[in-house]
Parts: sequence; C-alpha cells; structure tokens
Amino acid sequence: MKLELGKIYIKDIKFDDCQRIEDGVLYVSKEELTKIALSDDHLASAEFDIAKPGESVRITPVKDVIEPRVKVEGSGGVFPGWIAKVDTVGSGKTYALKGMAVVTAGPIVGFQEGVIDMTGPGADYTPFSKTINLVMVCKPVEGLKQHAYEKAVRLAGFRVAAAVGELARSLEPDETEVYETCTIKEGLEKYPDLPRVAYVQMLQSQGLLHDTYVYGVDAKQILPTIVSPTEVFDGAIVSGNCVSACDKNPTYVHQNNPVVEELFKQHGKTINFVCHILTNENVFLADKERSSFFTAKICKMLDLDGVIVSEEGFGNPDTDLIMNCKKITAEGIKTVIITDEYAGRDGKSQSLADAHASADAVVTAGNANEVVILPKLDKLIGTLDYINKIAGASETTLREDGTLEVEIQVITGATSEVGFGYLSAR
Amino acid sequence: MAKIKVVHYINQFFAQIGGEEKADYPAELRVGEIIGPGTAFESAFGDEAEIVATIVCGDSYFNENIDKAKADILEMVKSQKPDLFIAGPAFNAGRYGVACGTITDAVLNELGIPALTGMYEENPGVDMFASKLYIVSTKNSAAGMRAAVKKMAPLALKLARHEKIGASVVEGYIPTGVRVNFFEKERGAKRAVDMLLKKLSDKPFVTEYPMPDFDRVAPNPAVKDMAHAKIALVTSGGIVPKGNPDHIESSSASHYGEYCLDGVEALSSETYETAHGGYDPVYANDDPNRVLPVDVLRQLEKEGVIGKLHDKYYSTVGNGTAVASAKAFAAEYAQKLLEDHVDAVILTST
Amino acid sequence: MLVIITNNPLIQESFGSTYTVDYEALSYDDILIKIRDAVHRGASILTHPLYGSVKPKETPYRSVLMEMREGPVDMDSLLLIEQTIASAGKFPNKSAGYDEATLNDCKIIDLSLLQGALRSM
Repeated sequence: MKLELGKIYIKDIKFDDCQRIEDGVLYVSKEELTKIALSDDHLASAEFDIAKPGESVRITPVKDVIEPRVKVEGSGGVFPGWIAKVDTVGSGKTYALKGMAVVTAGPIVGFQEGVIDMTGPGADYTPFSKTINLVMVCKPVEGLKQHAYEKAVRLAGFRVAAAVGELARSLEPDETEVYETCTIKEGLEKYPDLPRVAYVQMLQSQGLLHDTYVYGVDAKQILPTIVSPTEVFDGAIVSGNCVSACDKNPTYVHQNNPVVEELFKQHGKTINFVCHILTNENVFLADKERSSFFTAKICKMLDLDGVIVSEEGFGNPDTDLIMNCKKITAEGIKTVIITDEYAGRDGKSQSLADAHASADAVVTAGNANEVVILPKLDKLIGTLDYINKIAGASETTLREDGTLEVEIQVITGATSEVGFGYLSAR
Repeated sequence: MAKIKVVHYINQFFAQIGGEEKADYPAELRVGEIIGPGTAFESAFGDEAEIVATIVCGDSYFNENIDKAKADILEMVKSQKPDLFIAGPAFNAGRYGVACGTITDAVLNELGIPALTGMYEENPGVDMFASKLYIVSTKNSAAGMRAAVKKMAPLALKLARHEKIGASVVEGYIPTGVRVNFFEKERGAKRAVDMLLKKLSDKPFVTEYPMPDFDRVAPNPAVKDMAHAKIALVTSGGIVPKGNPDHIESSSASHYGEYCLDGVEALSSETYETAHGGYDPVYANDDPNRVLPVDVLRQLEKEGVIGKLHDKYYSTVGNGTAVASAKAFAAEYAQKLLEDHVDAVILTST
Repeated sequence: MLVIITNNPLIQESFGSTYTVDYEALSYDDILIKIRDAVHRGASILTHPLYGSVKPKETPYRSVLMEMREGPVDMDSLLLIEQTIASAGKFPNKSAGYDEATLNDCKIIDLSLLQGALRSM
C-alpha cells in the first residue's frame, strides 16, 4: 500500500464567518462548527475557543485531541466506520493540517481528567502545548447517561475535525511524505536480507471510558489482527478513552503513531517493516491469554525477527504487556516494549504490576506519579470543578494561591506509552 | 557566598603511603592538606569549594577495625564542620570501596552532612550501598580518575547546595532504585526502534527499566521419602557456637562457619549465640533453636518423620552480605552437603 | 461456582439475578483482602483485579469474578492478587471526599468494566 501524506502547516487559527485556509491561517466560523457539533441531539451546547502555544491558558478536562485530515485520493475516507463508511483506508493521498489540533473538553464523569497547559512547567509535559488548539467544550442534554455522553462528544470531535480537514481538500501541501508497504511476498523479494519487523500495538479496551475502536469496532471484541501501517494515518483507530490522561492515546496520537513513523524511517534501510498488529487489553483473564497467544502466533506466522510492543494505560495492561513479551520472545522473536511507570510519588515503588525476565529491553516514558506544581494561568477553557477528583490529583490539589499540585498523570500525553514524548526515567 | 568546605577520604595507596604492605595504616586526619585525587577535585571545584582536610586510612585497618575506624573517622569529620564529604573514588578496589561506602553512609546518616563516593559498578561496595547513597559510576582503574572527578565534582556541589538531583543517567551515579524522571533527546518511539535495531544485530543495548531481580531458584521436587531422608540445617541468621570461634562478621560476612551437631540434642543459650548484627539478638540468644531449629528436628528424627539430622550445620550472616559472596559460600557448602549425601536442606533466615 | 465479589451495590442490583453476587460494604483495601482470603482457600480469579485506568482508590469500588473452590491454592491467582495489593498500596485514598454524583459515576464505570468482561464469557 502506498500513501502520500500531504502536510499543510497551520500558523494561526481565527474565527471568521467565511471558513477557509489562506496563507497558512485557518479561518473557522463558530456558527458553522456549532451546527456540526450539535447535529447530535444528545448535546445541548458546544462552545469553541482557541488556545495558542505560549499563552497563559489551561484546558481541562480534556477528552480527546484530533488532527484534522482529509482524504483526497484513494479508497475510503477519514475515520472509517464513524465519519466515512467502512472501506479500507491507508492508500492514495491524504492531507493533514499540521501544527494544530481539535481538542474536545468537558466533564463526562465526576472525576474526568486531562490537563493541557499552553505555558509553564505543565507545557513541557504535554505535546499539545505546541499545537494551536481549536477547543470544543460540549455540554449534554439533561439526564444523558455517561455512555451516551461519551459517544456524543467523541463523534462531535470527529465531525468537527473532518469538517476542518475538508477545508484543505483543494490546497497544495507544503510538504509530502510517502509511506509505502509491501505485501509479504514482495517484501521477501525486495528485502531478502533485512530483518522482518512488526509493531504490536495494545489498545485500551476495558469498558466505558476505556475503549478504542478499529474501523468502528470496539477493540474489546476483536481477536488480534493485522493492518497496513498506513491505515492509522487515515484514522482507522480512534480513541474513546477518557481515563489515564498521561498514557492513553488520544486520536491525534493514533493518527500520528510515532512507532509507525519511526519504523517507516528504517523501512527498506535497516528493517523490513512488515505490518502493524493490533491487540487488546481486556479485563477477563482468559481474554488476555487468548489475545497474547494469537499475537504471538501471528508474529510467528509472519516469520518476524523483531517486534516493538506498546502498552496503553495503567494496571492490568501490565499483565497483557508481559504476556505478549513472554510469548513473542518464546517464539524466538526479539522484543522491545514501551511502557510507563507508577513508581509512587517518591519513585521507590515497583514500577509495573507484572514483570518477566524476557522483558530485557524496555523503553519507559517516565514515572506518572511524579508531582509537579502548575502555576495559576490567566485563562481557563473548560472547568476546574473536577480538578480535585481527577486521577493523580488529591484533596489539596487546588491550592489557595491558585496553583495546582498534581501528579503528571493528569497531564494529557505526559507519559505516552507509544513513545510520543521525550520523558523517561532511570 | 562562602566556599563550600569539603573533607576528603582516601586510602593509603592514594595517599602515596604504600600499597598492600601499608594497608594497616590507621585513620589519620590531615588538616589543610590536599592529597592525590584531592588536587583534581580542588581544580574541578574552582571557586565554589575547597578541601579543608583529608582523612587517610588503610583499607585493611578500616575493614578489620570497622567499628572503631568508623567512630574515629566520624569524629575527625565532625571536627572540621564540613558542608560536604567525598570518599574515593575507589574504582574497582574492593575493600577501599566497602570503606568508602561505609563511611559515606555514616557521614550522611549519622552526621547529616551531604556525602558522595565513586566506584566501578562491580565493586562489592556498590552491592552494599547503591540503594543508600549516591555512588558515581567510574572506570575500573585509577586511569579513569579524570573522568570520575569530572562527574563527581558537579554532583557533589549539587548535593552540598541541596539542589534537586536528576536521574542517574543524567548525573552519572549508579541507579539507587529510586526512579527519577528526565527528558531524553529522542522521543520514546525512536529510542524503542534504536533499541530494537541493536537487539536485532546482537549489539549491546541498555534497557531503560531493568525488571526486578529474577535471580530466583526453582525449588527441587518434593522429597518423596522423608522417613529415610538426611536433612541438613543451614542459616543466614548467624547462629554460631558461643564466642563465635570463626569470627563471622556481624554484617557483610566474608565467610561462613561449619559446626558439628553430633550429640547436640538442642541448642542452648549457654553454648550457642548469634553473630548477626542486623536484628535484635535477645530472642535468638535466649533460645538459639528459634533460628536454627535443632530441637524440633531431633524430635522429628525420634518420631521417624525424618531419617536423620545431618551432623554438621552451616552458618553465616546475611546482614548486608554481598549477593556474590553469599552465592560463593553456598556453592562451596552445597558441594560438601552433596558429598555427605544430604537429601534435603532447611534454610532458615531472619 | 462463579461468584462476583464486590463492594459496589450496583453490581448486586444489575447482576444479582444472573450471578451469585457476594456484596459487602468494604473499603478498596479490604475488598482486595477478601479476594486474597478466598484465593487462600482455593478460589481462582477470572477477571483482573487491577481493571480500569481509574487508579486504585480514586474509585472506591472493586468487583472481581471468581471461581469459588476449596482446595489447593491457585498460584497464578495468588500472585495476581498479591501484585494487585502491592500496586494499590502505592496510591493514597482519594475517594473519601466524593459527592453522591461522583460516587455514582464510579459505580457505573465499575459496572461497565465488569459487564465488558462478562460479555467475553
């Protein structure tokens, strides 16, 4: 499969009745966007705001972050199974609006988390302090159940991102990146001497607020499967995950999966990037056994030499991670795993809930329990009502002087387990 | 701001007194003197700090008179009222490393003065003290002095100023077991791909999170016929004949003892005691069977539950003893137990 | 026999007619201890006790599906519950000050996560 990813750099976002992209400036109409967001009758209101890097702005509670993209050539459309109908994506031509993101915010439940600071120490930890953010805060109609609210906000985010992406359809990209994968046979012929490598991505799939979707399917219900690594660039995987802000993968991170990108950089040079394997993280222990056996079996059937396994979330996924690592290694395949740590505020506790000697090559995204003080910022998008209840915060989080004392786990993307960020620990 | 006052500890060799033949040189305080590696530290400190005194002590003297040496050296350090204490670096010298670790630990915890030492990662002092101290990782010989001082001096100054200490890989100390965050130059995904490329080509790579120690031994299958089995007792609880005839150290044992149980029906406080310095010895000394259950095994022998209690037992002290030493002791007496046709061993710890 | 050990009253309401639900109003720590005690007597754990990314004690609720048996200890289950207790020990109790609405959200999430697991059976 061959995908040309055209990048259009967005330097600024402005509100204007006439929606367009001109000289790198995105003009959007609040009225238009609100109409798109509220086309779902579960939502009572949607408010839009803009947060730029360096501004004294805090966004919380963040639900999802999405990069606007548009499919200009090839089969399918962005977010298949949600916005576009189900058709195989990952080939042809796609444009992405770089340097910006659509951020959805709003309290789905009483302990919803996710903080993006556009300046100060918190900004160092989140990748979304470097993007110009079009923020949408949604409120539900009265009496709406949590499940329905989550889904309504999730879909409103995709609709808005797709609509913004659509504005780029007739533009010329500033830069184009070409990603090309081969079939099994082509790969063997083309790169007979290169090690065969795949990426095993574990998707959070435990239940309400912990779900991930593949082409519209709840990942809880999949058996491990393979996709072309280019498919995620068109939004084949989306996030319905609102918990564990630091190490969940927002849709933006799926669209820009850094492991896929880094493996592509080596593809045809030092490795043959064979495919992207998707597996899940279910609560039922028998599911964990089944999924890890399937993943190891797929790795073996593809004659892989090496894999990178990435985790998503805290706690029981450690069990899936270790099962995957152990079983894939037992097939004689070299394995590197990416995780983050919960070593306690003092850094002295055991970092993972599970362990095995086969996990001898670990990349860590840092200790999520590390405490940081976030200064009071001038402007708040969303609400601080929940800040004392979000994961990694405590009763004393919101201090009298307006500063926040929190663990970095409340910061969106702080300890990304697909290695999106630079944080680590020793 | 006033200069940070430093006391520096070195052994007889680095004080240019002599080698092994002078290792019994007792602890000595030299006020106002800067000796050997001290000059390298002094120049690395620039205007920030100065060495106000150097303490010299022979490695054998320190290790053989550990309590006295430690107490004397602590007094010497105290007398200088320093802001900072540096020991070594000890490179791969084992006894020097243990001395540096012991005294750094004491200065830090008993005097509350910021303290730092440096060693090669395989120095036995690392096993004993890495979780308690900042030990800068050095090369295995004094040829690495310049590199060692280059890492130790800035970290020492940070400690003296009570600044936040970064991750081990940033500051150059041996991991303490406490996880500390820092920002890498490459993002996680790139680091994972780089690590995989190394692993694929069988090149060395360093994991960012070492899994907890997996040095576990799978238990042997159960003894089928206990009624005819010869059972031996082995302990790391330090039970020794009264008077500790083999002088097993109360901590960081360098050897183990082999003692005869022939004709011993039960241990008693008149004839046995513990050499262990890591727990309250009152109850073990009162009834040593509590740690080494000879009484119960004799009874089981009489009842026919076990065939026979082996007439020798092995004892050492687990308190701070290096894993490598413990392994070596066990490898040796396991051989003896095999030769004596022992079927099973009961290991008691404290 | 399959039993859900829980301290979430909503589980009793929702699953009480289809499963045996052993509900007791215990703390997060105590419900884990109760599960461990059952494992000591021979029970097996079927759903991971560290489910959910809501961190330990940020929700007060735990519900775990067990295969209740008397007999030899299932070592995998024992290891799992011991690891869980150790992991939970790292987290301070944050749910003490929750209001009714937030507690209700916690109950619903807990229920949803268990529902997801039971669907796999």
